Amino acid sequence: MLSYLFKKQSQVEKLIYDYLDTLKLAQKSFLNALEACFLNGVFCENFEYLIIQTHKFESKADDIREEVKALMYEKALIPESRGDILLLLDSIDLIPHLFEQILYSIQTQKLTLPDFIVTDTRELTKISLECCDLVVREVTALFKKNERIRDLLTQIDSHESHCDHIERRIVTKIFDSSIDPFQKLQLKELVCLIGEISDQADRVSKRINIFNIKRRV
Amino acid sequence: MLSLLGGIFLGWSLGANDAANVFGTAVTSKMLKFWTAAILASVFVIIGALVSGQAGIDTLKGLTSFNIEQAVISSVGAALTVAIMTSIGLPVSSNQAMVGAIIGIGLLNNEMNFSGLGKVFSCWVGTPIGATIIAVILYSGLARIYNKFDLNLFVSDIVIRLCLIAAGIYGSYALGANSSASVTAVFVGAGLINISSATLIGGVSIALGILTFSRPVMETVGKKLVRLDPFSALIVSLSMAITVHFYTFVGVPVSTSQAVVGSVLGIGIVKGANTISRRTLANILIGWLLTPVLACLCALTIFFLVHLYYIPPNYS
Repeated sequence: MLSYLFKKQSQVEKLIYDYLDTLKLAQKSFLNALEACFLNGVFCENFEYLIIQTHKFESKADDIREEVKALMYEKALIPESRGDILLLLDSIDLIPHLFEQILYSIQTQKLTLPDFIVTDTRELTKISLECCDLVVREVTALFKKNERIRDLLTQIDSHESHCDHIERRIVTKIFDSSIDPFQKLQLKELVCLIGEISDQADRVSKRINIFNIKRRV
Repeated sequence: MLSLLGGIFLGWSLGANDAANVFGTAVTSKMLKFWTAAILASVFVIIGALVSGQAGIDTLKGLTSFNIEQAVISSVGAALTVAIMTSIGLPVSSNQAMVGAIIGIGLLNNEMNFSGLGKVFSCWVGTPIGATIIAVILYSGLARIYNKFDLNLFVSDIVIRLCLIAAGIYGSYALGANSSASVTAVFVGAGLINISSATLIGGVSIALGILTFSRPVMETVGKKLVRLDPFSALIVSLSMAITVHFYTFVGVPVSTSQAVVGSVLGIGIVKGANTISRRTLANILIGWLLTPVLACLCALTIFFLVHLYYIPPNYS
């Protein structure tokens, strides 16, 4: 009975979980692209295909977000919840954009990773993507109350600090090296983009925490 | 029927204005379609008037004695007051206008039930104060329960929506029960209609106001209420309904707008925020003082105009 009365609400909830699934797929495709080619120091044929795949998932996530927005304009949920969900999705959506941006940077600038930063870059990517996993869990916790948001917030915050530390270390190594100065700037830009994933995850995480606090009266 | 027109106009304006206090939040935030809210409000206003409208009628008709002419004059005087104050943009309570007009008739008759009048005035003062106290108690108690359940966003959304609709229905019932007396009590006092017809006419005319003209008022007033968070908006609706229902048992028609102001003030007390401006408090004072005085003067003026006779110069 309630699900019939609040059909739009159930649709919004389902779409949000679809969005999170698509985000995970984009993340997986992004990691495959990096692991398969870039982090191994060689280009492979698969790279182009994986970029297209990542772009497809990113587009699909955009479409779902637009669908949620359309439902919101049809007055699903109370105004405050509408605002919170739209802000949340807009904020999360910057993460798949970053995936795409990183892969396009590698593709268009034909970047290759010097050996001395491969391990650090791999670690930076791994922890950044862990932050994304934690964000997905935190969003689910906001809607399902299956985990403590505060705990996830703390974990993401600590991961983000760790990523900042690795990022600084890589940039220092790049500028200490004897590679071409132009390549140094290209690599620095790329490392900062990868580091931005955890920064954005941290911003989303803090926003979720505020939404959760706001709901307590 | 023509004699009842003043009262019906008063009921119509009451419905048009006060529905906003009952369903304003739900409609403005698009949680409920206007027509759903208007139909629910109209139905429950009529039920409220029929089931519990009698006590208010007893109080108002007991303030002084009326004949049919005086009943018509007092209702037209009150209606005129509402029209004048609305046209110059001052807040007005139809209930307070009606009592003011009755006082005018009481002065004419040199017969006033001062204990009844004292009861009415003390209830007017008690309305915002009572609503404040109820809002503080409700907010503190229900917030504890709400936080204890720690509902997720979607469930909490459904719960608040359903509660707002339930509070709106209860508020409509309380409005009909409390305010139908203002519309027709004088006609019962004058012996023109009986109590059952009075409550029915009162309820129907308020419902007519809700169905025909409450939308713009609802959208204006509702926007102010929507600035509150959903839980606070629910507490405001609920405390307003409880306050008005309480005064229905006491038998005194009171202002729903003043009950809303009191409730918002109560939310501010709990949250430690300044939710009410001095201007709003001044509006309450205007409601308490200016409305009855103006209605009294209107009723007296109409009475004297009706009794003016033209005496030709060569008559003597």
